[in-house]
Amino acid sequence: MADFISRISVVCFAASYAVALGFEATRLWFRSGVRGVTMIGFVAAGLVAQTLYLVWRAATVTALPWSSAFDWYLLAAWVLAAGSLWMTLSNPRTPVGLFVLRVVLGLIGAAELSSREPFPQSPATQTWGMLHGGFNLAMSVAIVLGGLAGGMWLIQAGRLARKQPPLQGFRMPSLEKMSLWASRMIVVAACAGGSGFLSGIILNAVNRQRGLLETVPWNDPVVLRMGLLTIWLLVAAAGSRLVSQRPEGRRVTAVLSLVSLALLTLSILWGVLGSTRHGMPPQPPAIAAPSAGGAA
Amino acid sequence: MSLTFAGGSHRTVPIELREQLAFSSEQAAAALDRFRREFPGNEAVLLSTCNRVELYAAAEQRQGPPPPAELAMFLAECRGVDLTAVSSVLGGDRGPAAVKHLFSVAAGLDSMVLGEPQIVAQVKQAWQLAVASGTTGPLTGELFQAALRAAKRVASETALGRERLSIPSVAVADFAAAVFERFDDKRVLLVGAGKMAGETLRYLRDAGARDVRVVNRTAGRAAELADRLGATAGHYDELADELVAADLVISTTGATEPVVTRTAFEQLEVRRQGRPLVVLDLAVPRDFDPAIGGRPGVWLYSVDDLGQACEANRRRRQREMPAAWTIIDEETRRFMGDLHHRSTVPVIEQLRAGWNETGEAELRRLFRKLPDLDAAARDEIRQAFSRYAAKMLHPPLASLRSESHAGPPHGLLDALRRLFDLKE
Repeated sequence: MADFISRISVVCFAASYAVALGFEATRLWFRSGVRGVTMIGFVAAGLVAQTLYLVWRAATVTALPWSSAFDWYLLAAWVLAAGSLWMTLSNPRTPVGLFVLRVVLGLIGAAELSSREPFPQSPATQTWGMLHGGFNLAMSVAIVLGGLAGGMWLIQAGRLARKQPPLQGFRMPSLEKMSLWASRMIVVAACAGGSGFLSGIILNAVNRQRGLLETVPWNDPVVLRMGLLTIWLLVAAAGSRLVSQRPEGRRVTAVLSLVSLALLTLSILWGVLGSTRHGMPPQPPAIAAPSAGGAA
Repeated sequence: MSLTFAGGSHRTVPIELREQLAFSSEQAAAALDRFRREFPGNEAVLLSTCNRVELYAAAEQRQGPPPPAELAMFLAECRGVDLTAVSSVLGGDRGPAAVKHLFSVAAGLDSMVLGEPQIVAQVKQAWQLAVASGTTGPLTGELFQAALRAAKRVASETALGRERLSIPSVAVADFAAAVFERFDDKRVLLVGAGKMAGETLRYLRDAGARDVRVVNRTAGRAAELADRLGATAGHYDELADELVAADLVISTTGATEPVVTRTAFEQLEVRRQGRPLVVLDLAVPRDFDPAIGGRPGVWLYSVDDLGQACEANRRRRQREMPAAWTIIDEETRRFMGDLHHRSTVPVIEQLRAGWNETGEAELRRLFRKLPDLDAAARDEIRQAFSRYAAKMLHPPLASLRSESHAGPPHGLLDALRRLFDLKE
C-alpha cells in the first residue's frame, strides 16, 4: 500500500482535474447523460489521489506537515477541489467545476514552481507559523470563492440585463446566492488576511527577539505583496459593507471580489517568480576577510 | 404477429370532431370491453387526450389485428359518430410505421406544444386502463414499454422538453429564478387583474411564493382577486409603499399611460435599501417606464422581452428535432428487430429440441456399447455432444437473428422448417 501511495505524483491528480475540466467545458456545446457522472468521477479520483499524496507528504517529512510553499499551494488546491466536488454534487446543473477547477490547476502549477523544502522551524515559533500559514490559506480560499461568485454574478447579471434567459445545461446559481457568497467571502478574506499578516509580524518578531531564525525585512517582496493584499481586502470589505444598502451595492461587491481574485493571482505570480527571504533558512554568519597586515 | 393503429390528432381532426370522438375513462373502458368481445385474441390500447384519439391493436395470430379502416370504424361506432363524417380525417398505419407513430407521440414530437411532457403520463394512463380492461398482452406490453423508453431517451438525451414556451413559465423559471434563490421569503406584488397574472402567480406559488399582495384601481376587484388567489389586498393609492416592500412585481393593468414613471421610481429607490426588484410588466401598453429597467438592481421584463425568450426557446426545441427523430428511428428498429426475433422462437425451440433428442438417443446407444465408462467420462462425452450441437446450431440461429433486424425472416424460417422437417 505504502509503495502504491509513494508512486502517486502531482501529475496523477492534476491530470484527473484537467480531464474533469475538459468534460465540464463540453457543457457549452452539447448535452450528455453520462458527462456529469464522468466528471464527478474524475474530480473524486483526483481528490482521492491528492489526499493520499498529501498524507504521504505529511508522513515522510521530518518537519511539521505541509510546511513548505509547495505543500501550502497543494493544500489550497485540495480545499478548492473538495469544495468544487461538493458544490457539483449539490447543484449538478451548475457548472461550478468550469470555474473552480481552473483555479485548482493554477494552484497546482504554482506548487510545481515553488520550493518543496519546509520552512525553517523552531519549537518556539511553530504555533505562530501554523497560524500564519492557516490564516493565509483561509484568506486565499475565501478570495477565490468570493471572486468566482463575483465573476459569475457579473456574467449572470449581464445576460439578464440583455434579457437573455440562462443557457440550458449551463445554469448558474441565482444572483441572490452569488451575491451572498461574494459579500461573505470578502469579509472572511479580510479577517483571515489581517490575522495572517498579524501572525506573520508576531512570528517575525519572536524570531528576531530570540535570534532563532532568519527575520524577514519589511521590504521583502512577500511582506510587501501580502501587506498590500491585506490592505486591499480590508478596504474592499469596508467598501462592500458601505454600499450594501445601495442599489448598485451588489454589483460593486461582485467587482471588488473579482479584483481581489486578480490581485491574489498577481501576488502568487510575484511570489513564485520573485526572490525573497521569507521562509528561508538562516544565512551563515559572514566570515571577515583577513586584514592586509595579517596577524601580528 | 403484427400491430396496427387508427385515429386522429389535432393535426388532422378539427376540434369539433375531436370533441365528439374523445373518450372519458369510463367510455374508454367500455370501448375496450367491447373490443375484447368483437375481436377475440387481439390486444388493444386506447389513447384519448384532448388533442388525439388513437386505438392501437396487436395480434399474435398470422392473420394479424383488424386493419386501420376497421379500427377507425370501431372508434366511430363506439362514440356514435357518423363514419362518413370522420373517415376522411381518421388515419392509421401498421407495422413499423405504427410503432414509430406511437413512439413519436409518447416523446411529444406529435404534440401541439412540441415536446410537452404531459403526454408521457397520458400514454401510461392509457396503458393502465387497457391492463385493467384486460385487453393487453405480450405485444402491446412490449410496445408500450418501448414507447415509454423512447420518450425517456428523448427527454434525457435532447433538450426538447427543457425549453419553456409560455410567457408565465419563462418569466418565473428563466428570469425571476435567475435573480432570486428562493421565493418563500419574498413579497410578490400583483398590480392589476390581467389574465396572465393568475397563471404567472401559479408558477410563483409552485416555486414557493407565499406572501402575495394585490392592488387594483378598484378596491373591490382587488379584494375579489386576492380572495381568489389566496393573497391579501392592498390600496392602490399606496402603490409606492407597496413597491418599496415588494421583491417581485407582476403588472397587468389596462392603463394607457405608465403606472410607474422613472421619476416616481427614483423617489422610492432609496427606501428599498438596495434590495433587487424583478418587474414582470405583462401589460400592453406597458405599466412601467422602460427606463426603470436601466436602474441598478432592477430587472424589468416586458411581454415582448419574454415573448422573444419564448420564441428563442421554440427555435431551440425545433433544432432538437433531428436528434429526437434519430432516437425514435433507433428505438423503432430495435423494437421491430426484437418483435421479428420473437416470431422465430418456436422454430428455434423445435430445432434445439430435435438436436437434443437425436443427441440423447446417440449417447444412450454409445453408453450401451461402452459399459465400462465411469460417470466422469460419461459427463465429458455428454458435454462434448452438447457443445457440438450448440456450435452446429450457432450459424443458422445467428443468421435468423441478423435477418430479424431487416424484417420478418419468413424465407429463412421456411427453409429451416423444410430442411429439418419442423412443424408449422
